[in-house]
Parts: sequence; structure tokens; C-alpha cells
Amino acid sequence: MVNRTAIIKQPDKISSFNDVYKLQKEHQEALISDNSNPDFIWIGEHHLCYTLGRGSNYDNLLFSLNDDNYDVFRIDRGGEVTCHMPGQLVTYLVLDLKNFNKDLNWYLRKIEEIIIKILGIFNIDCHSREGFTGVWIGNKKIASIGIGCKRWITINGFSINFDCELENFKKIVPCGIENCLMANMIDYNKNLNIQELKRIVKKIIQEEFNFDFVSK
Amino acid sequence: MSHEIFMPALSSTMTEGKIVEWLKNPGDKVERGESVLVVESDKADMDVESFQDGYLAAVLMPAGSTAPVGETIGLIVENEDEIASVQEQNKGNQPEVSSSDQLELVSNKTEEKPVVQSEIVEKKEKEVVLMSEKAALSFNSDQINAATSNVSSRVIASPRAKKLASQLGVDLAKVHGSGPHGRIQADDILKANGQPVSIPWIGEGGSPSSIPGVNLGVESKPEVSGNSFGNPGETVQFNTLQKAVNKNMESSLDVPCFRVGYSINTDKLDNFYKKVKQNGVTMTALLVKAVAKTLKKHPQVNSSFSENGISYPENINIAVAVAMEDGGLITPVLKEPCNTDLFELSREWKDLVKRSRSKQLEPDEYSTGTFTLSNLGMFGVDRFDAILPPGTGAILAIASSKPTVVANSDGSISVKKIMQVNLTADHRVIYGADGASFLKDLSSLIEDEPETLVS
Repeated sequence: MVNRTAIIKQPDKISSFNDVYKLQKEHQEALISDNSNPDFIWIGEHHLCYTLGRGSNYDNLLFSLNDDNYDVFRIDRGGEVTCHMPGQLVTYLVLDLKNFNKDLNWYLRKIEEIIIKILGIFNIDCHSREGFTGVWIGNKKIASIGIGCKRWITINGFSINFDCELENFKKIVPCGIENCLMANMIDYNKNLNIQELKRIVKKIIQEEFNFDFVSK
Repeated sequence: MSHEIFMPALSSTMTEGKIVEWLKNPGDKVERGESVLVVESDKADMDVESFQDGYLAAVLMPAGSTAPVGETIGLIVENEDEIASVQEQNKGNQPEVSSSDQLELVSNKTEEKPVVQSEIVEKKEKEVVLMSEKAALSFNSDQINAATSNVSSRVIASPRAKKLASQLGVDLAKVHGSGPHGRIQADDILKANGQPVSIPWIGEGGSPSSIPGVNLGVESKPEVSGNSFGNPGETVQFNTLQKAVNKNMESSLDVPCFRVGYSINTDKLDNFYKKVKQNGVTMTALLVKAVAKTLKKHPQVNSSFSENGISYPENINIAVAVAMEDGGLITPVLKEPCNTDLFELSREWKDLVKRSRSKQLEPDEYSTGTFTLSNLGMFGVDRFDAILPPGTGAILAIASSKPTVVANSDGSISVKKIMQVNLTADHRVIYGADGASFLKDLSSLIEDEPETLVS
């Protein structure tokens, strides 16, 4: 695998979903127009918001769309509704799969592997479940995945629940799975901090995709 | 000349993909490299682009449908004047209108609680069978709903309706919406365009349940709207199909039948159905699959009486009763459901229903059932008896699944969705214990592991 250059962004403050989404789209378009442009990785947290994939079923939103208390975005990714909020680490990968493997199933499984590796470093034992993309601890979901792709340039990525308010997931049917239980990393290892998680996520992604990171 | 758009392989292991959305409508100009549609597999979706400049001439598979990798799903032509001829050629292949409207993002401020709203949508989504052109009347209560609600001046339409309107050239502003609070539904567009809307009155509901309480009336309206083949004072001759049914019904009088019933909790089945219905799975296919799998363990219940003794068929073929609009009923057969995956089974069922509507079934497609299902769940019935068709040993009557207060074995009380099923069987070949143990296993399959119905 060749070394690829990737721009990495790791803001410390909580970021607006929409701004980061636009940023991803810009990088995706840049890669589409010229594939010598660098890949783009973003690791951070969002304010509370709900996002739906393009094929998502609105029935899985358990609140009214008129309710101004909830920010809802429909975005370019597969999968059903999910929820982002402070305390949940979100990682976006805008990368050119033509340099890796033109296979979205491979990519999804690769992301699951990466998450399992990351959580393993914190001594949290977790697993994937066939037919239920994401990473699980027993029957509880700890990490969710949703990606979009245009001309093999990916967008979106995965989120890991660190110490977020899981009650927010009760406003939706997460991933369209009824009675889906969610979990936080902090429930399994009390001595964690999210900065350390961010550092490890960056490190593992760098290793797994063989990136040279630049901060632009 | 026209260029085909194929269902792409998003991965080496993918065999079929779901069309999430067409980003272009037939007739729209497309540029090389421009995204035309979105395809989804698992948690990943992908934009599919046009390989040349031209016009999208035809959409062969609608949004929401699933197509095998490599299947032609749309056609692009180079020149605008080719659109009409390509559309003409592919008329028969144009997508059927699915009624699975999605709830719209921008909705009317006066709408009720989301829970209620989604129930209404769900009811609309009831895919199905057939066969009443009088069906327009079945939405009366929704029209009343629309009339009495506070409708804003903005045009409110489901995404599906908007897409159809643009495809068919219907002006949304002139369409009367029959949905909640006057929302325009796909059916309204069809009506406005002069196309018949087919609404089920028997066959298959989108759920084994009907909607509790106030919504119930809607589904049973067609009877009021005139499920009568003649006028008062008239005597109308039986048609061929009715005569055939009469003969079968009379011959059932020679069969010593017994009945045995069971109450099945469908909470898990309903949840599973919600997950798979987006992939085109129908409730009929689910029930057929469950029955066939259970019959496999209970060959006695699949047997029938013959002069020479108990006849055990080589196959398990499930017939499903479907009422015909002009009288009589027909029982299209799903052959060997155990050997067919749920998605393929659902496709087969839709095809059978479509062809029975146009009376194009081959004899072996309606006469080879070894066991029959009759589902009146969509009418909200508590329970009913079915009459045994000749040449078979048993028929299962499926009623509505309703929220029911249940006393649990630990003494607690809870509310569960309960569906009553009732087996009618020929006692010469099937005994009470056979029927009862069949129902017990069917019930555990539906209650405990509906996800195994996939394959």
C-alpha cells in the first residue's frame, strides 16, 4: 500500500454538524476533480443533532420534525437515523478507495476492525455482528457506521459513544433497529478521557491506511 | 441510441442493491459524471453517475426497489428527441407505483403527535393486493380528515407524490390531497392523472395487524362502497370463477373438518417486518415462509385425503386466497417457500398478484397448493373460520393482530400484539394433536425467531 497524504483536523471545541459536513463535501469534490489532492480525516464532537441517510425511514424519528428543539440533517450516507452529541467521538474519512480497495463491503468491515482495535487498546472487548454493521459489546451498540461514496471517494464515517447522554437515542430508533441498546466506553473502563481516545483514533487510522498526516 | 444504466457492484460480495433515490427524473438532462441515482448496500451508499451527456429517458426500477447487480435500471439517450421512443418501448417496464410514501421533512404545523402521524403513514404504506377499482372510496375518512383540518396554503406532498407529479406532468397545486391534513399522496397524483388506483380489500396487509381504534373503519370501507355485483331486486348469474368456488365450497360439506385456534404474539414479527419491508418484503411472504417452515416439521398437516389413503405431497406449496374484484376468489401458489429466500419470495408474490389481477395465471400457479392461507387481518377481524379447499388437508385463517392485555406466567400484566389464527383441517388425515402441535411450533417461530424467516 502506498503512502497517502491526508489532511487531519482535530478541533478541541464542539463543532457544528453542518460546517463539518460542508467541509467533507468540499474535500470530496476536490478529490473527484483531481485525485492527487490529499485525503481528509476529521476527528471531533458535535452539538446534539440527528442525521438520516438518504434511504432512511422517517418513522424511526420519534419526535416531530416541527420540533425546533431538534436539529435534523439528511445526508449522503447509507443506513438509518442516528444521533450525535458531545461525549461521542465522531470520525470522518474522505478517502479515495481507488488507492485501497474499490469495495464498500471491505471498507465497512475495515472500519469495524479499526474500531475494535481502538477499543481493544482501552481493554474494552467488543465485536461486530453479521448483518448489523457497527461495533457491539454484547447486545449493546458502542459504535455506529454510515458512509457515502461518489466515484469511490468516501464521505462520513463512524462514531464512538464515549460518555454521551444515551437518553438522546431514545428519541429515535437507532439504525432502524427496534429496542437497540446503546453503550458508552466509560461504562466499561472508568479511567478514560476523550483526549486519549482522540489520540488513539488518529494513531490507528494512520497505521491502518498508511497515511502521512499533514495539518494543511 | 440509448445507453443502459446498470446496478453497480459496490463490493465483490454484493449480489443486489437497493435504489435509494433517483436524483434525476425521466426527461431530465444529465451530464457525463453527474449523479443520476443513489444505490445502497448495508450502511454504505453510492452515487451512480452517467457515463455520457444526454437525457435520462427511462427509470426501469423505482426508488425503494432492489435489483441484482448488472441489471439494467435506467436508460440514457443522447438526443432529446429519442426520449419519447425509448419511453414508448419500455412502457411495460416502467415501475409500478409503490405506495410506500415517506413522511415528509417539511410538514404541516398543525399535525398531530408524531406517533399518530406515523401510524397514518404506515396505514398508507400497506402494500398490497388488489383488486378494487372502487377503491377510491376507501379513503373517505382521510378526505374528511383533510377537509376538517387546518390546511395551510403551502402545497404539502409526499416525496413520492412530488416525483410522480413531475414524471407524469401533474400540477401539484391542482391536486386534492387525501392524506393527513390534506397532504398529497402518490395515489392522488395517479387519480389526478386519470389512472386507476388499486387498493386492497383482501389479500395482504402491510402488517398482520390492522390499526387499532379509530383508523379501523378505513380499511373496511370497500364493503360499504359496494362489494355487490348486482342492484337491489336483481338476480345476477354466477360468473365462471364464482361457480368454481361454489363447487369447491359444496364439496367441503363432505369433509369432516375440525378447527383449532392459537393466539400468537407478533411484537417481534412486527419489528422484523419493519426492518425488511424496505427491501420489498411483504407480510404475505413472511407468513407464508413461517407456515412453510413449520409444515416441514409437520408433514402430517401438509397431507391430504385420497381414496387410497393419506397422500403426502412431494412439495410444500402454499396457496394464498385472494379475492377478485368482479367476484370469486383465486389462490395463487407460492411453491416451495422453504427453498426460496424471503426477498425472492416477496418478488414472486408481487408478480403472482399482479398477474392474477390481469387473469394471467397458469393453472399450475393457482391449483397446486398443498396448504392454504387466508388472511383477513387487514379488516380488523378478531378471528374467523376458513373453509377447506378440496384436495388439501388444512387451511389457516389469519386474523388481525391487536394490542391485547396479556396475563404473563409470572403473574404480571402487559400489553402485547396478539394475532389469532385458526386452523381448519380434515380429521380423516389430520388429528387434533397434529394441528395443535403445528400451531404451537408456528407460534414459537413467529414469537421467538422471526429473523430466521430470511432464508
